[in-house]
Amino acid sequence: MSDDIQSTIKDFILREFLPGEDPDELTHSTPLVSGGILDSIATIKLVLFLEERFGIKLQAHEADAEHLDTLAAIAQLVHSKRA
Amino acid sequence: MNAVVLGKIRSGEESTAAPAGGISITNYLLVVAQLGLLVLLFRQFAIESAAFLRLALLSFGGFAIHALLPMRLRLPFFLLLSLAAMVVILNLANAVSIIAIGITLIGICHLPLSFTLRGILLVAATTLLAALRANWIDGPVADAVWPILGSMFMFRLIVYFYDLRHDTTPVSPVRTLSYFFVLPNVCFPLFPVIDYKAFRRNYFDDDAYRIYQVGIDWMVRGVIHLILYRFVYYHLTLAPSEVTGPAQLSQYLVANFLLYLRVSGLFHLIIGLLYLFGFRLPETHNRYLLAASFTDFWRRINIYWKEFMQKVFYYPAVFKLRHLGTTKAMVIATMYVFLLTWFLHAYQWFWLRGTMLLVIQDILFWLILGALVVVNALYELKHGRNRTLGAPTRTWRDVAVITLKRYATFWFICILWSFWTAGSLTTWWSLWPAVSGPYTIGMLLYPGIVFAIILVGSIERSPVRNTRSSQTASTEWMRARLATVTALIVLVGVSIEGVHSQLDPEVATTVHSLRSSRLSRLDTAELERGYYESLLSVNRFNSQLWEVYTKKPETWLDVQNAGLKRFTSDFAQTELIPSFVSESNFGTISTNRWGMRDGDYELTRPPDTFRIAMLGASAVMGWGVGDGETFEALIESRLNLEGERYDNFEILNFGVPGYQPLQQLVALEKALRFQPNAILYIATGREPSRAAWYLVEAVQKGIEIPYPRLREIVAESGLLASMDETTARRRLEPYNREILAWTYDYIVEQSLAQAALPILVFLPQVREGTWQEETPETLRLAAAAGFDVVDLSDVYEGQDIATIRLAEWDDHPNRRGHELIASRLYEAIAERKVVIFTGSPRAK
Repeated sequence: MSDDIQSTIKDFILREFLPGEDPDELTHSTPLVSGGILDSIATIKLVLFLEERFGIKLQAHEADAEHLDTLAAIAQLVHSKRA
Repeated sequence: MNAVVLGKIRSGEESTAAPAGGISITNYLLVVAQLGLLVLLFRQFAIESAAFLRLALLSFGGFAIHALLPMRLRLPFFLLLSLAAMVVILNLANAVSIIAIGITLIGICHLPLSFTLRGILLVAATTLLAALRANWIDGPVADAVWPILGSMFMFRLIVYFYDLRHDTTPVSPVRTLSYFFVLPNVCFPLFPVIDYKAFRRNYFDDDAYRIYQVGIDWMVRGVIHLILYRFVYYHLTLAPSEVTGPAQLSQYLVANFLLYLRVSGLFHLIIGLLYLFGFRLPETHNRYLLAASFTDFWRRINIYWKEFMQKVFYYPAVFKLRHLGTTKAMVIATMYVFLLTWFLHAYQWFWLRGTMLLVIQDILFWLILGALVVVNALYELKHGRNRTLGAPTRTWRDVAVITLKRYATFWFICILWSFWTAGSLTTWWSLWPAVSGPYTIGMLLYPGIVFAIILVGSIERSPVRNTRSSQTASTEWMRARLATVTALIVLVGVSIEGVHSQLDPEVATTVHSLRSSRLSRLDTAELERGYYESLLSVNRFNSQLWEVYTKKPETWLDVQNAGLKRFTSDFAQTELIPSFVSESNFGTISTNRWGMRDGDYELTRPPDTFRIAMLGASAVMGWGVGDGETFEALIESRLNLEGERYDNFEILNFGVPGYQPLQQLVALEKALRFQPNAILYIATGREPSRAAWYLVEAVQKGIEIPYPRLREIVAESGLLASMDETTARRRLEPYNREILAWTYDYIVEQSLAQAALPILVFLPQVREGTWQEETPETLRLAAAAGFDVVDLSDVYEGQDIATIRLAEWDDHPNRRGHELIASRLYEAIAERKVVIFTGSPRAK
């Protein structure tokens, strides 16, 4: 289940922010926020996507590196919200 | 494989993720050896201050123990080390003040009250501290405490309290105290923001050796930034009045922006230092000279600030305003963030300086940058932006496009930066007529260098940032090691005098200049201007000078504010109040009935008396010493004890604080009424410029100029009262030497006409590395005018400057300084006694 979530998020990130990049380069631990891929605009777009796709509601304080820095962390956040 | 491993490593995890801080003996020794080289580098280049060197020694020594401790003891050890650094650098009383206030503030965050009530209490406590900081109320907190306390708490408390509200992770008192009292802040008050979660999350989250090595890389990079900064600061910066054509304009813009290297250099040093204790914090800057747009610039420069604003203000605003639509919410939130950035900038200034910073350029700068970022963000929202996972190469077309974008952004930021940092709006505006100045090949120099750097920087794509270095390919890792060690060895090697003195003399002189930390010629001029005109444009973080003034106590009395002078209607504008007595921190300052800071003298020279009239400014008047302790008084006493030929020697002190060379003409008229046998004119740095600047002041204030030649020069130069100061100075600049030459000629002629021997004594400011670029010309003009010249340029050589001046921000000589000057000047007079005391004045 968590893998499905991660895969969905990965597809979204590759499609929206990293078109043309090698999918294998984006691993579960690639730093997205601190690595400069998810800037503030991309973060808002991702939040909107997560809320719509997974039917969850995120808070402002969750839009940070602790929750969104890696695919694994994002999947964990989604998972905890849906639980 | 190293056989012995220090510290604890989780079984079987040595080469994989999340080890627990262990390091092999070989790697430990490698790190210690590099730290040894770093200490040498800090020392050789006098990086920052003596206090920083002490901090570095304490930190590196602390590291040597810390790396060997079991993990559970490392954080407490780091906290103890941070507290010890406070005591070592600031002293025990100040350290206790910071710790007590800090613990109180942290304690309020954890009171068993509602979040709102705790917030109200924090605001109340902060208001009380602000009242103390502004000296509205008296309290037992020393001035030195505020910048450090401010840097530790002014923003971190906001982040911490914010995280406390949302975070469920149990609080560790040791971690919390380590976060606030973090080691480097005792030397670096300009480093206030660290994200609490990042501080906690990234602690030893990678192989310890690799974390330490990256820390060393960053410190070396920081030193390189600081050395480059010094080159720019000492050798490339120009005053607005020196911008006369496109070549100077491009130099001014580039140099002005590159002064930011100091901030990026210090941040690298600070974060590198923290890496040595396991805090694998994100990078603070990311090649900000290569920003390709305004949003990109905002993301690359001072990243910690951007993330603080994003976390605490931007996201909450966007989430709150989402009902308006995402685009609207983002636009409003962005402008809100930039407005707050201006406000928090003023707030930061308040804690560092104790005054409010309200400058129109500041507000305009942040609003303009905010508007540009909004436009850019809207574009990115619609069209996206290029991001990369680190594919190493680009096509040439990509390189060309990104280079042009970066080049355009660079120059736009340079212009915006010049607007922000200029002394005033009129000063900034006065730069632009230079665009129509002479078009020469030299004007391509800076645009060409910048283009080459950006082109080279654009060939490779940036990799994903802030990855764990244990995930870095070994070749890349080894390349980084090689680069760091090579840089360390080369820099230490070049810094050795025996090595760089073998280079081309010009290169050797430049390298030598980079080895010491001092004010640039422009900041030195600004500091001096503070003495002469009581004016300072240090009203922003726009120069290194503000740091000097940060140390100045609120209660410090400047000579210009001491109430010793009164206004006059003549060309000099002011004079000392006659028959006046004032008590200063340095002793009694009294004037005689003639308005001299001296004993009483008759107008007519007594028989068998050799009388000298001494002209000069505040150093001659003796700001900083009591009556009878000025070098003038000391020489007079000694001449009367040891002097020959005359029964009596008198030196009349005509020194007046703030007097420029042209004002000495008025002092000379007064002095000659007293029938002196000699006129001793005490000259100091930048005589040609200061003579011209006073003429600008006279014209702008509409003061009548009683000297026909000076009126002619004003007319020839086209100087008008309506001109702004920068333009006016620029207009008069070609006449600087002529104005001083005429002034010296006038003094010599008038003196000789009254049978007084004219002597010019050059006395430098009491400061390390004082810029003397105008001194040779001054001495040449003085000799050409017919002065007998006494050059005391080396009077302070071999002395510890701090022991002979009043303070770093007030470099008048103190009692010891006056004794030193008196001794040297007496010797010079003794050497010339045949000329001075027996020779009749020479003809020119």
